[in-house]
Amino acid sequence: MLHSDNLISNGHRALVSAGSKPGLKKEWLGPLAALVVVVLILSVLRPSTFLTWENFRAITDQASIPFILAMGASFVILMGCIDLSIEGVMATAALIFVLLSANSVNSVDLGIGAPLIALLAGTLMGLLTGVIHTVFRVPSFMVSLGTWFIGLGIATVLFGDSIPQLSGHLTRTWASASPLGVSNAFVVSVVFVMVAKFVSDNTLMGRFTYAIGADENIASLNAVAVNRHKVYVFALAGFCSALAGVIGSSRLGVGVVDLGSGQLFQTIAAAVIGGTLLSGGRGGVINSICGVLLVVIINNGLILLGVSPVFQRAVSGLVIVVAVVATAFSQRSRLRIVK
Amino acid sequence: MQETIPLSLCNVSKSFGPVRALNNVSLSVRTHEVLGLIGENGAGKSSLLKVLSGIYQPDSGDILVYGQKRTFSNPAAAASAGVGVVHQEQSLVVNLSVAENILMSTRATKSGNKDCKVRFGIYNWRKINEEAAEILKRIGSNINPKSKVEDLSFADRQMVEIAKALQISRQPGVQPIIVLDEPTSVLEDNDIQQLEQEVRRLKEIGSVIFVSHRLDEVMKFCDRICVMRNSEVVGERLTSKVNADELFRLMTGRQAATTSRERNKSLRDSAVVLNLEGLGAKGKFSDISLKVRSGEIHALVGTNRSGREEVCRAVFGAEEFDSGTVRYNGKVVSRPNLRESVYGGVAYLPSERKLESMVAGMSVAENLQLTHRGERASSIFVNPAARRDKAKEWISKLDIRPPIPDADIASLSGGNQQKVVLAKWLEDCQLSLLILDHPTRGIDPGAREDVSTQIFAACEEGAAVLLIADTLEEAISLADTITVMRDGEITATFDLNSGAIPTHAELVAKMI
Repeated sequence: MLHSDNLISNGHRALVSAGSKPGLKKEWLGPLAALVVVVLILSVLRPSTFLTWENFRAITDQASIPFILAMGASFVILMGCIDLSIEGVMATAALIFVLLSANSVNSVDLGIGAPLIALLAGTLMGLLTGVIHTVFRVPSFMVSLGTWFIGLGIATVLFGDSIPQLSGHLTRTWASASPLGVSNAFVVSVVFVMVAKFVSDNTLMGRFTYAIGADENIASLNAVAVNRHKVYVFALAGFCSALAGVIGSSRLGVGVVDLGSGQLFQTIAAAVIGGTLLSGGRGGVINSICGVLLVVIINNGLILLGVSPVFQRAVSGLVIVVAVVATAFSQRSRLRIVK
Repeated sequence: MQETIPLSLCNVSKSFGPVRALNNVSLSVRTHEVLGLIGENGAGKSSLLKVLSGIYQPDSGDILVYGQKRTFSNPAAAASAGVGVVHQEQSLVVNLSVAENILMSTRATKSGNKDCKVRFGIYNWRKINEEAAEILKRIGSNINPKSKVEDLSFADRQMVEIAKALQISRQPGVQPIIVLDEPTSVLEDNDIQQLEQEVRRLKEIGSVIFVSHRLDEVMKFCDRICVMRNSEVVGERLTSKVNADELFRLMTGRQAATTSRERNKSLRDSAVVLNLEGLGAKGKFSDISLKVRSGEIHALVGTNRSGREEVCRAVFGAEEFDSGTVRYNGKVVSRPNLRESVYGGVAYLPSERKLESMVAGMSVAENLQLTHRGERASSIFVNPAARRDKAKEWISKLDIRPPIPDADIASLSGGNQQKVVLAKWLEDCQLSLLILDHPTRGIDPGAREDVSTQIFAACEEGAAVLLIADTLEEAISLADTITVMRDGEITATFDLNSGAIPTHAELVAKMI
């Protein structure tokens, strides 16, 4: 956030919020309200299809991967950086996972080792992005754009010339199995979200993320190891993308390069709709959860409302742009600089 | 005797290449004392502070702590001798809580982890909040440690900064020496009274070094005053045995000039340049009506929440208003717009110099012609030679130092930057309304005079001035009319030309 903006709005805010308790300002109330409105609209328009257990299952299934991706992206965006490598890392992790599990192309089967190595690979790719970003002081969007294509490239090489299919029963069904009523993938993502919430509120990792996002210089004046911390966060984001890749492959049963296609757009849109500022320091886990649910439910609603699949992408893009403008509307100020 | 002095510097020198930043500086701080350190910008105060806080290492000379020679190789080493610095720029992370801010950098001094406030990277919020509350209590503050810094006023933020410095410098068996670097530059008059109590309290706990360039404050706060000029300590006086004129002479090397001017008695007949009628913006200000005439200096005073900045910004078109009218030279401006304002002869000098009015990285000459390109420039191409000539004119007129048109504006001292920014607006030959938001904030007395002189000159030429003064004294000495605001409304108007000059107390009474 810009300092001048702070100064300008300071008096104003003091007038407006006099009387409200300090420290209890909930920045995610707006996005949550939007979510409630969307749910209400769809409940009224399509009561027989929207408000059903099957549709709820469908939404949770759809939301599980975006949830995980949004956690990594939130931490990165909170620092004022961006990670565009999501789809590339997902692809690499997916191919590593499938090729190291029992599959149709080779005879390797590392069991639990396969997902672990895939996660490690994703974490390393994030780490690399972070190191290049901090050591060579290259904007994170540029580095991660590179990592994206490196990831796709590695995945393409690993893919070879025939689609590797998972042959193990467990690996092929685990993500979609639902012993708890909802799919395992969703359970994992919810646990992941809770851990992320704890980390962001109660640990040095989380608090330093906010500090760096507010003002990197001030953070380093306060003895925060800014560069090291940034590398950690990028590694975390790489881990998230890899986890999404593993879960996605398990659900699909095959390892494909374009597994993550479209996820980058959805994830960033979700974070922004949730009210996490791209300039950093504001927003958080709850915001992103609201954002993801908004995006997923909007897409779900478009299907239920019978929007032709031909138009769906464009309409969903349009809806998301409108949603971003609407959620950012209260924060616009004529002299605020948006880059 | 020597051992009882917690901190002293002996013949400390520091150079950067050919530039001597400190020349044989000696200074000692006694317990339970407030030591004032004054000097113009560039006199060497900041370098001295950086040596004290371990950021710079002196080339020669010694630092003595209770008579023992010590090296401050980094800020942590300085902190271990009890030195805690409250820097001029805010060093708080605004989106974190007060407690987090106070305890954040204690990790640097390695004392934070001992009592398990953070274990395995996980916060123990209860302990963090308790400890922060305790430190805040020591300086007599009841700020809630859980509140976010961005929700605090500037005065409270300053308290948090002091608490943080105190926490950093808290060492067993050592009395804290808190350095306050220009603590009043962002504060308003009533907040400064709060700071005064603060300093009293700190004095009971340990010692204070109070750095400022405002003579009145130094004389009010300090027991002893050190004056710096040209990288040297040129004088050391007990406050009880010195007057402001002597300090001014020591500081600047020249006699004090009178800053107040002869008031223009014939204002009633001059044209109304700006006429506000019932101007209001929801949540910011309401029902603001005032007139500013050609040649008049009209000061708006009030606390920093009174809405006066917002009024100025609304007039210029940098913020919106939703009721009332703005009449500029008799014509109604329904929606002020930045570009139209600028080309219509309105100038606005924002208070945030670094962020809103200068382009760091561009030269003095380029900054001067950012807004108005002068008569000699063609509409498309810039003429560097003409630009440089024009810049030289202003440089000599305003005594801008160094007198180099091609110097990067960021390399100039604050006072000189402000002169360039002011000149940028005065460059407009049709200037008719000059809006000044804290034109002298953070600049030294010499530069302040130069700036005041230019403001008067603009008035003489018929410009109307809307001023938010840095202090009440400044408003009283400069303005023809003073309008007092409180909570977004006008509470009083004083016409100084009628001879009734309000006192400090009268103004404060209407402000709060």
